[in-house]
Amino acid sequence: MPDGSFAHSQQRSFNPYTDNGGTILAIAGADFTVIAGDTRQSEGYSIQTRYAPKVFRLTDRAVLAVNGFAADGNMFVKKVKQRLEWYRHAHAKDMPLRAIARLIQTMLYAQRFFPYYVYNILGGIEEDGTGAVYSFDPVGSYEREACRAAGAAQSLVQPFLDNQIYFKNQTAAPGQSHPTHLPLPDVLAIVIDSFTSATERHIEVGDGLEIYVVVAKGRSPQGLDTMRGVQEMSARPDGDRMFVIRRDLKKD
Amino acid sequence: MNSFLTRYSSTTPEADIRKAKELYGEDDDVSEMIWGSAGGFGNLAKGVPTFKVPAVPDPTSFLRMHTDDHADPSCRIKIKHGTTTLAFRYQGGVIVAVDSRATAGSYVASGTVKKVIEINPYLLGTMAGGAADCQYWETYLGMQCRLHELRNRERISVAAASKYLSNLVYSYKGMGLSMGTMICGWDKTGPAIFYVDSDGTRLRGDLFSVGSGSTFAYGVLDQGYRWDLTDEEAQELGRRSIYAAGHRDAFSGNTVNLYHVKQDGWQFIGNYDISELHYNGPGNVPGAPGGGYGYDVRVAGRSSANAPEDQ
Amino acid sequence: MDHFPTNWGRPRNDAFDPYATYPLHQRATAKDTFAEGVQHTQQPIVTGTSVIGIMFKDGVMLAADNLASYGSLARFKDIQRLHPVGSSTVLGASGDMSDFQALQAILDDLTTDEFTYQDGHDLGPAEVHEYLSRVMYARRSKMDPLWNSLLVGGFRDGKRFLGYVDLLGTTYSAPSIATGYGAYIAIPLLRAAVDGKEDTLTEDAARALLHECMRVLFYRDARSLDKYQLATVTADGVRISDQIPIETEWRFAEGIRGYGAQTQ
Repeated sequence: MPDGSFAHSQQRSFNPYTDNGGTILAIAGADFTVIAGDTRQSEGYSIQTRYAPKVFRLTDRAVLAVNGFAADGNMFVKKVKQRLEWYRHAHAKDMPLRAIARLIQTMLYAQRFFPYYVYNILGGIEEDGTGAVYSFDPVGSYEREACRAAGAAQSLVQPFLDNQIYFKNQTAAPGQSHPTHLPLPDVLAIVIDSFTSATERHIEVGDGLEIYVVVAKGRSPQGLDTMRGVQEMSARPDGDRMFVIRRDLKKD
Repeated sequence: MNSFLTRYSSTTPEADIRKAKELYGEDDDVSEMIWGSAGGFGNLAKGVPTFKVPAVPDPTSFLRMHTDDHADPSCRIKIKHGTTTLAFRYQGGVIVAVDSRATAGSYVASGTVKKVIEINPYLLGTMAGGAADCQYWETYLGMQCRLHELRNRERISVAAASKYLSNLVYSYKGMGLSMGTMICGWDKTGPAIFYVDSDGTRLRGDLFSVGSGSTFAYGVLDQGYRWDLTDEEAQELGRRSIYAAGHRDAFSGNTVNLYHVKQDGWQFIGNYDISELHYNGPGNVPGAPGGGYGYDVRVAGRSSANAPEDQ
Repeated sequence: MDHFPTNWGRPRNDAFDPYATYPLHQRATAKDTFAEGVQHTQQPIVTGTSVIGIMFKDGVMLAADNLASYGSLARFKDIQRLHPVGSSTVLGASGDMSDFQALQAILDDLTTDEFTYQDGHDLGPAEVHEYLSRVMYARRSKMDPLWNSLLVGGFRDGKRFLGYVDLLGTTYSAPSIATGYGAYIAIPLLRAAVDGKEDTLTEDAARALLHECMRVLFYRDARSLDKYQLATVTADGVRISDQIPIETEWRFAEGIRGYGAQTQ
C-alpha cells in the first residue's frame, strides 16, 4: 500500500488458512426459524474436538452460524457481538435482523483482500414477526432465503432441502398445492434427518448436533417446549422465545 | 498529561492499550472508518472505506492463491459469481433482464440471486462478476447518489452515477475486484445505460449483455432489437434473451428477473422459471406468443427420422 | 472484461501464465528480487515435539519431553517445555522454541502487570487461553505467526480446563488433547482411557497413562526423547515434576527387518 502498511512484513510459504470441517443449516418458517450445526471440529483426518459450537446466539431474536476456518469464525462472531453491544449501548435496543445482515456484509467486505474463510448463515425473526434466513459468501454477498446449508456437507444437504422445503422435483397432488411454510415439527424432523444423513456420508460431520429454534413473540412453540433434551434460553417469557436442542450424532 | 510523555511512558493506561493493540489488538481500525463512530451513529459519507490487505510482499498473488480458480478446484474460498445480464434502451425506456444463478466453482451456490440491484427508485445496477463486489459497491453508490441529491437538490444523472462507480473501481484496479455492471436509469436526457466494469471501462450505449451467457443473449437480442419496440415486445425480447442464455450456458439459469425503467422510475415486471419458459412459456403475459420457448414446440412430430415429405 | 465466471473475483496476473493453464499451487510465483531483501522467511528452527494433556478427577495433567531439536539433530536435551502461568495454569509448547520463549516473556509480563494491580483478580486457565488465542490469531493475521502448538491446562474454582491454540489461532478444548505426532499416536490411547471418565480417573492412573503415552511416542517419534516432565494442576496449584526417564525395551527389534542390525 502507498502508506507502507505492509512494507515490513514477510513470509513466503505460510498459509494462514485451514479448513475445520462441519456443516451448518438454517430453515425459516412462517413465524419461527431453525438454525443448526454439528459440533465436530477437525483438521485433515484428525478430530480435534467433539464439541466446538458453530451456532451462536446474537440477540433475543437472532442466531448466527459460522463454518469454515474455525479461528476466523470465532473471531468474526466475537466482533459481530461486540458491534451489537455497541449498538445496544447507543440505541437502547437490539439491532433488527435485517440490519445485522447488512452489518455482517460490511464486516466481511472490509476483509475483501484478506478474506475471512467463513461461510455465515444468519437466522432469526424479522421486525414483522416472520422467520428469516440470510446466507453469506466469504466476502459478504448475501441474500434472504427460506433455507440454506453450508460447509463440508452442503452439497449433500442442500439438494435434500431443495426437495423437502422448496418441493423441487415434486408434483403436488391434483387440485392441491405445496405449502409455502412447513410447521415446526416437520422442519425439526428434516433438520435432524439432514444431519444424521450427512454424518453417514461425510467424514467431517458428526459427534453432536445443536439446533437453535427462535419462535416469534406470541406464537406457539408447537410442542417444542416439552420436547426431549430441549433447553429454553428466552430472555423473557412474553417476548420472542429461543430454544436449544442438543442431540448426539454418530462419533465414528 | 504531556502528550509526548504519554506516548513513550510505559505505565499509563494509554501504554497499556498501546501494548495490548500491538499484541493481540485490532488488526486494523477498519470498522471505525466505515461506521464513523463506535456507537453506530455512522457518518456514512466519510470518504471511501479502507480495507485490510495481507502483510505479504505481493498481496494480489496472495488473493489469487486463495480464492477460487477453475484451474485449481482445491482453492477453498469460493466467491459467489453472477452470470448473464442484459439491458437495452428503446423508445419506451430501458429493459433490464438477468438470470438468477450463482456458482461457486462448479457448484450451483444459489438459484435465487437478485442480480438487479435497486440503487434507488430511478437507478438500477446489474450484477455480473463477484456477487459481493457488485452488491457492496452498488449499495455504496446508492449512498453517494443520495448525498448528491441532498447537496444539489436534484437527482444524479446516470452518466454521473456510472462515472462515480467507474472511478471508484478503477482505483482498485488489479486488486481482484470483478464487476461487469450496467447502470441503467432515466434522467433529464431520457433513458440511459452505461456499462461499467472493474477494468475501468465505462461505455454509453443502447444495448449491452454481460457474463458468460452474454453471447447467447446477444444472439437473440440483436435479431429482435429495434428502437421502436412496444413495451410488450421489449419485455418479451429481454425475457427471451435471458432464457436463451440460461438454456445454453451452464453458468446461467434458474430464473429470469425482468425490470422496466420508465420516466417515473423502475418497475419490476416479473420472475420467470427458465425451465418453465422452455416447456410452457411465460404464461399469459403481454407480448408473449404463447407456448414454450423450446424448439420442440416448433418441430413437434417432425425430425430426421420422420421428415416432412417435400417432394 | 473477462467473461469467464471462474476467473472472476481474483486478481489478474497477465504477465504470468496468461492462459492460467497450471494449477495455482504448482505455479512459481513471480519473482521480486527487491522483496527478497525485505522478508525474513520464517520457519521453525529449534523445535519441540508433542505435548499431551488430559483431564482427570482432581484437575489436569500435561506432559512434554525435554528435547529441543535442530532439524534432525537432537540439539538441546535439557529443555523445559512446560511453563507455569500464575497459580492455576500451565502452558505446554511444541513447535519453535524461540517463539515459545517470546510467549513466556509476554505471559510473565502479563502476570506481573496483573499482580501489580492488586485488584483481587488474577488470571485463570480460561483467561490465559483466551489471551494466547488472541495473540496467536493477531500474529497469523500479520502473516508473522508464532510457530507453536500450545496446550493450556489449569484448575480453578473447582473447574478443570484444557485448551489448545496453534499458529493459526485455531482453538478448542477437549478432555484429552495432544499436539504434533501425539495427535496421531497418543490421542487414540488417551481418548480410550479419558473421554467420559474424567470424573473417575485418579491422579495415579493419569500419571501412569501419560507415562505410557510418552513411552509409545518415544518408540515411534524420531524427534522425541526418553526424558520428560509432568505438570499437574489441581486445587493445590501447579506442580511441575522433575525429569522422568522412560525405560525402554528394544530386544523385540532384534528379529524385525528394518529395526535392528540387518542380517540379510
